[in-house]
Amino acid sequence: MSQAVGINFKKSSVDAFIAGLMALVLFGPIVGVVLDGYGFNAEFGRVAWIVAVVAVGRFVMSSFLQTEKGIALAFRYANSDDGVTVLPPGHKSKMIWIIPLVIAVGLLIPFIASKYVLTVIILGLIYVLLGLGLNIVVGLAGLLDLGFVGFYAIGAYGLALGYENLGLGFWSMLPIAAILAAFAGAILGFPVLRMHGDYLAIVTLGFGEIIRLILTNWASFTHGPNGVSAPLPTFFGLEFKRRSRDGETFHEFFNIPYDSAYKYMFIYIVLFAVVWAVLFIKHRLVKMPIGRAWEALREDEIACRSLGLNHVLVKLSAFMIGASTGGLAGVFFATYQGFVNPSSFTFFESALILAIVVLGGMGSTLGVVIAAFCLTVLPEMLREFAEYRVLMFGILMVVMMIWKPRGIVRVTRTGFSPKKGVVK
Amino acid sequence: MSNAVIRKTLISLAVAGAATLAQADVVIGVAGPHTGAYAAFGEQLWKGAEKAAMDINAAGGINGEMIKLVKADDACEPKQAVSVANRLVDSDEALAVVGHFCSSSSIPASRIYEEAGVLMVTPASTAPLLTDQGFPNVFRVCGRDDQQGDVAASYIVDVLKAKRVAIIHDKDTYGKGLADAMKSTLNAYGEKEVMYEGLTRGEKDFNALITKIRSVDADVVYFGGLHSEAGPLVRQLREQGSKAIFMSGDGIVSDEFVSVAGSPTYVEGVLNTFGADPTSYPAGKKVVGEFRASGYEPEGYTLYSYTAMQVAAAALANNDLDPIKGAEWLKNNATDTVMGKKQFDDKGDLVVSDYVMYEWQNGKSIQLN
Amino acid sequence: MDIVLQQLVNGLTLGSVYGLIAIGYTMVYGIIGMINFAHGDVYMVSAYITAIAIAILTFFGIESFPIIIVGTLFLTVAVTGAYGWVIERIAYRPLRSSSRLAVLISAIGMSLILQNYVQLSQGANQQGVPTLLTGAIRFSVGDGFVQITYMKLFILFVSLLGMGVLTYVIQKTKLGRMCRATQQDRKMASILGIDTDKVISTVFVIGAVMAALAGVLVTLDYGAFDFYVGFIIGIKAFTAAVLGGIGSLPGAMLGGLILGLSEALFAGLISSDYKDVFSFSLLVLILIIRPSGLLGKPEVEKV
Repeated sequence: MSQAVGINFKKSSVDAFIAGLMALVLFGPIVGVVLDGYGFNAEFGRVAWIVAVVAVGRFVMSSFLQTEKGIALAFRYANSDDGVTVLPPGHKSKMIWIIPLVIAVGLLIPFIASKYVLTVIILGLIYVLLGLGLNIVVGLAGLLDLGFVGFYAIGAYGLALGYENLGLGFWSMLPIAAILAAFAGAILGFPVLRMHGDYLAIVTLGFGEIIRLILTNWASFTHGPNGVSAPLPTFFGLEFKRRSRDGETFHEFFNIPYDSAYKYMFIYIVLFAVVWAVLFIKHRLVKMPIGRAWEALREDEIACRSLGLNHVLVKLSAFMIGASTGGLAGVFFATYQGFVNPSSFTFFESALILAIVVLGGMGSTLGVVIAAFCLTVLPEMLREFAEYRVLMFGILMVVMMIWKPRGIVRVTRTGFSPKKGVVK
Repeated sequence: MSNAVIRKTLISLAVAGAATLAQADVVIGVAGPHTGAYAAFGEQLWKGAEKAAMDINAAGGINGEMIKLVKADDACEPKQAVSVANRLVDSDEALAVVGHFCSSSSIPASRIYEEAGVLMVTPASTAPLLTDQGFPNVFRVCGRDDQQGDVAASYIVDVLKAKRVAIIHDKDTYGKGLADAMKSTLNAYGEKEVMYEGLTRGEKDFNALITKIRSVDADVVYFGGLHSEAGPLVRQLREQGSKAIFMSGDGIVSDEFVSVAGSPTYVEGVLNTFGADPTSYPAGKKVVGEFRASGYEPEGYTLYSYTAMQVAAAALANNDLDPIKGAEWLKNNATDTVMGKKQFDDKGDLVVSDYVMYEWQNGKSIQLN
Repeated sequence: MDIVLQQLVNGLTLGSVYGLIAIGYTMVYGIIGMINFAHGDVYMVSAYITAIAIAILTFFGIESFPIIIVGTLFLTVAVTGAYGWVIERIAYRPLRSSSRLAVLISAIGMSLILQNYVQLSQGANQQGVPTLLTGAIRFSVGDGFVQITYMKLFILFVSLLGMGVLTYVIQKTKLGRMCRATQQDRKMASILGIDTDKVISTVFVIGAVMAALAGVLVTLDYGAFDFYVGFIIGIKAFTAAVLGGIGSLPGAMLGGLILGLSEALFAGLISSDYKDVFSFSLLVLILIIRPSGLLGKPEVEKV
């Protein structure tokens, strides 16, 4: 890039003209002609604005890409995509310092944050759980699952219906829901094993939809679209209500004034502990043979099978562990919301969880945590934009993917070095 | 950007600016689906509440305090309803909330308002469960689905004298609630429906279902749902040559029903229940006139939302801005609104439900006597 | 008997629409292996353009059905095709070398963008178009009757014509050969001098055009739509594409027809509550028996 780079304004102008023309074709009808009954109102002013903005924007971009900086940027962009970063052997992760710090801050949050912020963080943590679960299935085992919301629904409805029909509370349903979801994962897992890639995707999508449709239609058991109310967690039998029908409530026992924030604090602390437990288990699993098998199977199924790996069991285990994490998240969601109905478990929710995994960086735990918070906190922050909120969200999703197609956090590995003097 | 958007931005900026200047404002949330598939209803809610707040403020506000509205978007998703309710209660420190729209949002949100002691007046959530929860602070200025189903069922039995009723619903809280109420009232009259089935919201092809209606030879098709599905349904019913009477609830009342059905001829003779025409009350003449003068037809829930705002304001004004006392007060005192005097019972429902039958004639829903 | 026949007719017309939209999924999948989740929303955009075209044409005093339909088809196909091209250019081409999941997420984002952009500019209310063509043919069967409206006949005719033309283009023309070559081996095709980027763009335009065709037909027939209408029909069409074997053109059409028929028959004869459960179960069942769909090429496992 030693030659002098002059900006060819003629080229930029042509680019700008084409972009403007395209904008006119695209936005002309939809933005410019607003339907009103069978007639329409013309709004050409705003089309002119959009076309002008697009043309000018294209002109600036086209000119910039001809400058030295622009060329360098384009070059870097085109060559930014390579695989796993391998760290030198003996690399000490800074996580040893960061993790205790995060735990300490996390434990402080409920006492300093307002109730609204706390609820947003709880929602964020629920999505962390969901993201972690799906990350095992998609990120590690490479099985594209578009129906993950089904397991989430099983967990949530498990709590609500278990309480209603069997009188089981939060603490007994927490493990049972995880087992139920894992069981559902196993049932789904069997037919799935014969399929590849995107056929798997549609079957799981179908599974998620079937669960939701059954929840909607089987009104005598699930109350259909009306939903079911879900119980709150209890603190050694003490309820977090203003007044209790049977027994003492939390604030009466400790003789403190009632505050509805207590229940969110409690949910937060339990959830925080569960998230850390799942993080720890996952961290260990990845280093165990089963975790290595997931990733190996993702990379090359045939090679794995010829090496004697039981691909059925490996895939099934990924599905079940992922599903049970989803079930756990469902229980927390139900108790947090106090009410569940089928409209919380649409395909869009599956897509959102998948977006968390992909945006975070496939297979990366830290990435999932960051992305889960981004995708749940972001829409709340975008509330200021009111009706432009979801549009902004969509734009950010596309831009993020173009900017960092491998996700926010790259998967890193510590390399091995053969030990000297040990020959076996 | 359209003028409307610029205007909205300016208003919200002005409102936000005013908020930072005068902290003592009375904050009232307007919660509903401002985005998403139901955004059209959210707009009705907002228009009504906005106008009411402007009128109250112009008349001196609530005990001298100006009302500051906060737009709270739940997109009719329970999850968002919970988080937006917490936000209203916590960050915005709202004293009262007008909303939500969908019953499935109102029910989880009502629990949060109850805990925080915030007054909730919904203009549109008709699910019985909402007030049956027994929260002291929840009110609605619309009827209940079961009341609506009763009116429709007795009309079918007493006036139409129909024997073969097919009941269709859209598998949503509102629509299924209507259909269930219709079914149980019909059965109480000793009639048995010939068909009871759900369709999927968002689909437009109901031909298979209609052929089935044809095969059971129904005299009356009762549909629990909204106009988005009712339009194609009635059109395809007529296209397949069925002459059955089409009947529905208040969810189809919108000018869009006609354009969605494809032509006024298809909706001719369609019956629906609705609160006695909200624009017909003498008390509301002035407001309706002003709406129309500004080029906005106050259809659907617009005036209900206006009324809800008046109820909330009255409760706060007469009780030194205490929402809990206000809730108590509402149960013992009638409130003057643009839709006449409103008196609530102990649950927070209206004492007098005002559902009547309407018939569509020449593309308009006309109240039957 | 008449009821069953009527349900067959219902299912056939519904299925031909699914088939048209499924083509967009299947062609894009065949060529770059991505699930284009924004495709249903492209269909939605075309429904809006249909209504806008009709509104403009009637505004200029044009009343005759043939002129309106030709004008609407032309406008809708042109503008929707442009949408297909631009979406590929903005949201998918920069991700050509990335993992397929990244493109999938980008497509989901694009779907959100399209829905909300249309909602913001056109309002969230339900839209409708006036009924242009009425009347039906009736056959009496036993003591009942089976009928098919002229509009439904028109749908069947146009969608079969569209599929026929497309099959011809793919099988017989140079463009079609380029498409097939790119589908088989993109790298090799580009070595042989095929501008694969251009071919991929063309495929997106073709997919959008087919969706536009469906958009015009469905909008004229059912008359009702809103900005959310692409979602359900998109999922159904995607299901149809997979059912027939994703990547296979005749498979998409066959899958569409099977899905339409099974929905109509199940809803009409058993229960409309569970018809979607039935469709998805049917899909799972077929995929268990034939893991790559009805007409899909079985995946060859090689080392």
